[in-house]
Amino acid sequence: MKLDCKHIWRELSNYLEGDISDDVRREVEAHVAQCRHCAALLDSTHNVLVLVADERRMELPVGFNARLRERLEREMAISRPE
Amino acid sequence: MPAMLDSAVRKQEKENGLIKSVLGGRHEDFHELIAPYRRGVYLTAYDILQVEADAEEVAQEAFLKAFRALRSFRHESQFSTWLFRIVINEARMKLRRRREVPLETVFPDEGEDGDYTPTMLADWREIPSEALLKEETRRLVRESIAQLPEKYREVLTLRDVNGKNIAETAEILGITIGNTKVRLLRARLMLRDIFVGRTRRKPKEQPAKGVSP
Repeated sequence: MKLDCKHIWRELSNYLEGDISDDVRREVEAHVAQCRHCAALLDSTHNVLVLVADERRMELPVGFNARLRERLEREMAISRPE
Repeated sequence: MPAMLDSAVRKQEKENGLIKSVLGGRHEDFHELIAPYRRGVYLTAYDILQVEADAEEVAQEAFLKAFRALRSFRHESQFSTWLFRIVINEARMKLRRRREVPLETVFPDEGEDGDYTPTMLADWREIPSEALLKEETRRLVRESIAQLPEKYREVLTLRDVNGKNIAETAEILGITIGNTKVRLLRARLMLRDIFVGRTRRKPKEQPAKGVSP
């Protein structure tokens, strides 16, 4: 089986997840070794996802936890879980 | 028992204990129950709404709702899955109320059946560059996420920002694992296109190189 570029795009996300069979993984790797477009697409998508993952280090707004606690406590004073 | 599994089980037991205790009347234990999720809940709301004040309001609403509805949590899913489902719903409702139209609808929503074709075939390596300051890069990432259609922002924040696995992401969104993967693929390819488009508008100071992971 020979994967063309479109097939590579379909598998790209699964490839980055590592959620792919050995056969397909080998096909993807063989394809990107000789297709600079797909190689670049794979690289750049990976790079963007690394930057996206960095978002999780974003700071919470100052005072967020205190305001949340306060709001919850007001609620807890007047109601209970149903 | 493998260490990781062991700690997951212990975490679950602790959570179950806290839930029981809150339901039994020790309301203050709710703070401890939600402490591990405050950041994730806020980030999810932020990624969907893109406005700090709205994200905080939605995060608060979600926690309040979780408190009020805690008795209806059936332990059929993990507490965090249940909680994130509430957050997603609250964020969606907020968007509806805002009647927000995405800033620029770059991508027509053509359903998920067709293939998504990435653009700009020629220079795909010219992306995140060392020339960009870290802060600027972060701003660009946020602006790029903001331009994704809503359902793609949802799946991207759950999986790629919050690090939920595919199965949990699917459960939170109430869609199949297959659909989750398709949606995620599109979200990632679109995001890359938007991001490349934005970085390319910048004047180039030096030849751009790929960022190493």
